[in-house]
Amino acid sequence: MTDGPFSMKINRRSVLKAAAAVGVAQVAAPFVISARAADKVKIGLDDPFTGTYAELGKNEKIGCELAVEEINKKGGILGREVELLSEDSTSTNTGTAVQKAHKLIDRDKVDFLLGNVNSAMALATGEVSAQAKVLHIVTGGHTDAVTGTDCHWNVFRVCNTTRMETNSVSQILFNEFGKKWYFITPDYAFGHTLQQGFEASLKKFGGTEAGASLTPLGTTDFSSYLIKAQAANPDVIIFLTAGQDAVNSLKQAVQFGLDKKFHIAGAQQELEVLEGLPENARIGTWVFEWYWNQPNVPHVKEFVAAIRKKNNGKVPTARHWFGYVSTWTCALIANQEKTLDAVKLAKALEGFTLPPEIALMPDKVAYRAGDHQLMPDLYVGHAVSKGAVPEDLFHVDKIVKGTDAALPVSETGCKVTWPA
Amino acid sequence: MNSTLNRQIANALIWALLLTMPYWIGFVGGYTSLASRVVVLALAAMSLNFLLGFTGVLSFGHAAYFGIGAYGVGMTIKYLAPSTPLGILVGMGVAAAAAAIIGTLIVRLRSVYFAMVTIAFGQVFYFIAYRWNAVTGGDDGLSGWRTLPLDFGIGKLDIAGQPLTFYYFVLALFAVAVGIMALLLRSPFGRTLLAIRENERRARFLGIPVEQHIWMSWLISCVFVSLAGTLYALLNNFADPHDLRWDQSGDFVIMAVLGGMRSFWGPLIGAAIFVVLQDYISSQTENWMSFIGLFFVLIVLFFPRGVVGLLRRKAAS
Repeated sequence: MTDGPFSMKINRRSVLKAAAAVGVAQVAAPFVISARAADKVKIGLDDPFTGTYAELGKNEKIGCELAVEEINKKGGILGREVELLSEDSTSTNTGTAVQKAHKLIDRDKVDFLLGNVNSAMALATGEVSAQAKVLHIVTGGHTDAVTGTDCHWNVFRVCNTTRMETNSVSQILFNEFGKKWYFITPDYAFGHTLQQGFEASLKKFGGTEAGASLTPLGTTDFSSYLIKAQAANPDVIIFLTAGQDAVNSLKQAVQFGLDKKFHIAGAQQELEVLEGLPENARIGTWVFEWYWNQPNVPHVKEFVAAIRKKNNGKVPTARHWFGYVSTWTCALIANQEKTLDAVKLAKALEGFTLPPEIALMPDKVAYRAGDHQLMPDLYVGHAVSKGAVPEDLFHVDKIVKGTDAALPVSETGCKVTWPA
Repeated sequence: MNSTLNRQIANALIWALLLTMPYWIGFVGGYTSLASRVVVLALAAMSLNFLLGFTGVLSFGHAAYFGIGAYGVGMTIKYLAPSTPLGILVGMGVAAAAAAIIGTLIVRLRSVYFAMVTIAFGQVFYFIAYRWNAVTGGDDGLSGWRTLPLDFGIGKLDIAGQPLTFYYFVLALFAVAVGIMALLLRSPFGRTLLAIRENERRARFLGIPVEQHIWMSWLISCVFVSLAGTLYALLNNFADPHDLRWDQSGDFVIMAVLGGMRSFWGPLIGAAIFVVLQDYISSQTENWMSFIGLFFVLIVLFFPRGVVGLLRRKAAS
């Protein structure tokens, strides 16, 4: 082993060099980026593809991709080919989302900006796009402020406000299941706004609040909250938990047998979450923002088939629809107005009605003038443990029109100021 | 003599690169806002390094003061007075007050205990920002305000409208902050900090009030990191509870270590690598975090003195 240290030295040096080469390659790689063609119309999607919201963000992206393919088949925007540029905003770091918005707008010079799933990011990137005067369609961030107190002339939103979701379901809960409600609320802004929405409805109808448990985000053991809920003896227990918290809280509610004694309900529910639940925990009354099984609505079948082809045979969720509608909105309005000027497009989008092959809903779907909120249908119904087909996990009981669920523009707190 | 000349050449080169960054960053796949981001995070990492690299004390809670700066400027503009400079001063002032109080509680702790307590205090501020929905906007962040033009009395400078103007605004403040830190490090005070880093017991035997010096170093470091925080909020037009979280602190430590914590400019290099790498790889793959992690592991394993340490060794051999 006399040559031990020597060979060690060589090894070490070669490893050092290799590592340095890898490092340099990483940093130098941006040189390789080829200039992106200027003659294309660019749509930028700034959405989470990693972390908690990754699945939702990726599903929105699939919807956008389908729309771009269809738009290009039909002649693109103003005769130019459409290109989708997508950037990972991450799920939690708003700074990164803003950086990516700058990247898409400043460097890639996108004509339209789409995103984000995360409400905070939707608000923050809305500020960036407003300053840069780029038409921005918020795909899936639900907080009221996006089309409320923090609204902008250039920001439109496809998904519902939290208030629309609570309003759409509360009437049915009140009439059919009772007037004494208990809340299981995740302890952060989203949960609080949802609870406030329900409380406003309770006040309006004259019901009573049996109590509320604030649960920290990421809670795994809900037993103490569920015992409290049981002791309060409400008619309805409202679960406002989302994501993994929803899975845990609902599973445990079933283990406690709460679903036998009380009615379980909540606001927004997503197919992604129901798929993650064990069969016996697929319970309760919820709101879906779009549902794939609408046998009587024209064009829905074709859309479901097209998404299935791109999505490993899985049916579209509301997230696919958000991406699809947002992208098509850009194309439709630009082709109608024959311009890419953001101010003109934004003005034309006020009151713009989506054609039925894009809206994929039974009623008229239009962007409301004043706060730029899309007025879609909301699907109130209940989760089913096993459907006729494996993906059919939700049964729609009632379709509520967005215009009936939304607060009037004057109460949203939105005052749009147009650029001079 | 030769080494001081070398250092001056290096300084001149770095300043030349920084001054012209918006004009060449486009050729390497960047954009002006990315340049601003590099400078802001570099300031944060260099401030952290004032404590970490030159005093030998590891803080894992600097994001708290970064975030206090961010919320300070945002809340001042939103609730108090529509003035960007006032917001920056308020952000730094509040952060300085918080750091001064917390500093007195923790200066006696060393090594991992110091790091852990700084994390704990950092998380306190994080949860305040996260939970106090009515004031801070909670999880949704603090929005509904924007960077306002600088008013010089004789005319206004709109730093928000043009990314280029904003970059030079950031760079000017960066230069002031970095200049002050460099001067402090050259002064007897700075030399004392180095002595504490090298051998604390010996410094104590020499009659140096070690705790006072560490407290001062901590305060200076926190004040400059809060300046970086205010600039970060102005860059984003947004303050985010994530800015105060421990993993943001971790990012600063990574930048400092990546670049080289024994070197004054090391954290700048580290921040540049970190930001550009993240920006570039995250567009290519969803697994970008693992690449940054891999890069960091390689650096720590093979170049404990960071990228700057590696360059120096090359130059010496």
